[in-house]
Amino acid sequence: MNLNTLYNLRWTVLPPVVGVAITVMAGLALVSAPTEVVEGDVQRLLYVHLPSALASYLSFGITAVCSALFLITRDFKWDAGAQAAALVGLIFTALTLITGALWGRPIWGVYWQWDPRITTTLILFLIFAAYLVARKSSELDNERIARFCSVYAIIGFLDVPLIHMSVRWWRTLHPQPIVSRLDPALPTEMLLVTLFSVTAVLLVAVWFIVLGVEIELLSQRLLKIKGRVR
Amino acid sequence: MDLAYQYSCLISLTVADLKLTWREKSAWLTTALFACAALLIYSFALDLASGIVVSLLPGVIWTVFLFAGIFSASQSFHADRENGVLDALRISPVHPTIVYLSKTISNFVQLAAIQIPVLLGATVLFNEDIFQINIIMIVLLGTLGYCSLTTLLSALSFGSKSTNLMLPVMALPLLVPLLIACVEATASVLDDTPDGAPWMMLLVLFAIWTTLISALMFPLAD
Repeated sequence: MNLNTLYNLRWTVLPPVVGVAITVMAGLALVSAPTEVVEGDVQRLLYVHLPSALASYLSFGITAVCSALFLITRDFKWDAGAQAAALVGLIFTALTLITGALWGRPIWGVYWQWDPRITTTLILFLIFAAYLVARKSSELDNERIARFCSVYAIIGFLDVPLIHMSVRWWRTLHPQPIVSRLDPALPTEMLLVTLFSVTAVLLVAVWFIVLGVEIELLSQRLLKIKGRVR
Repeated sequence: MDLAYQYSCLISLTVADLKLTWREKSAWLTTALFACAALLIYSFALDLASGIVVSLLPGVIWTVFLFAGIFSASQSFHADRENGVLDALRISPVHPTIVYLSKTISNFVQLAAIQIPVLLGATVLFNEDIFQINIIMIVLLGTLGYCSLTTLLSALSFGSKSTNLMLPVMALPLLVPLLIACVEATASVLDDTPDGAPWMMLLVLFAIWTTLISALMFPLAD
């Protein structure tokens, strides 16, 4: 499936697929998944926390790739993709931080811990918040701000490997990875629900990004029309 | 690309930039005064003269450098843009990376020159032996990583009316790893503990990473 096919499915196939996936995910996470013995029901936040973190990595990755493609081709459709993915990434990073804080309170006794991975995720949030603020508030011409933000997004994205690896680089309160390794530490039922949740949330992220691209392309067209009228 | 020619351009551009900065004293003098004033303000706010200063001093010194550096970086392309120097360089055979590197070196020298009196001042004011070779190494490495990133962002954001606002908002989150590494490395030297090595490694990595990536991105963004 190429990108154009995916884009053409934004109002037909993607909404029902995403709707069904999220409904099934909610059912699996809240009812079917077994209750964790030590942490209890609060552990169910895993089914939102981990997929949100992965969705934010995916979104920021798309932002970085689209930004690089924009710098090479100077085609504004890539800039639209970068902007849309940055916004979606920001939403999912916020969700990751919020669910992490809610999970941390009963388990660690605090909402926030200055753990390297959590801190780096917060930094990532600030970087892409600054990216979007610059996009929306700068009075530089469209081409210059697009170039500026593309460079900024690529540099910002290079923080993501630091986030992923930091849990292994520094001693930390944050648990070691339990899914993204050869012998996952989760029981099979929990692992299956987690994998389904990841798929469902990634589908939501992709759909949001596709809708965001449409909004950006429409606003680019509107700007062109306004320019011609003037 | 003729490397010898590009190298001579790098030297000429850097020297020219430093000469111009020296002649127009307002920018670096303002930054130096701001750094000294900020150090004093911190001293009053945190009672650095009477309390246990060692644990607070690295953070104070590096936040002063960070904010003073932003002050300085936001001015770095001002004269060049106003006088059309960047447009002239764009049509010359000088490679854009050379333009970026010359500006980074010039900013590095300026900021390092401002940091020396601040370090001396902090040594005298707080009776701590800050002016030692290990800390100077940390300061130079931190300043290199700092200047390479802020120079790129300053070049890109210049021309906007809100450059002075946009630059800190965009630069500071990217600089957090550098700040943490600098503060921790400085603290380990002041405390005379051996756990500064990983932070020094992070500092070196950050300096190399930002210099390389910025040098690569500058021609693409120009």
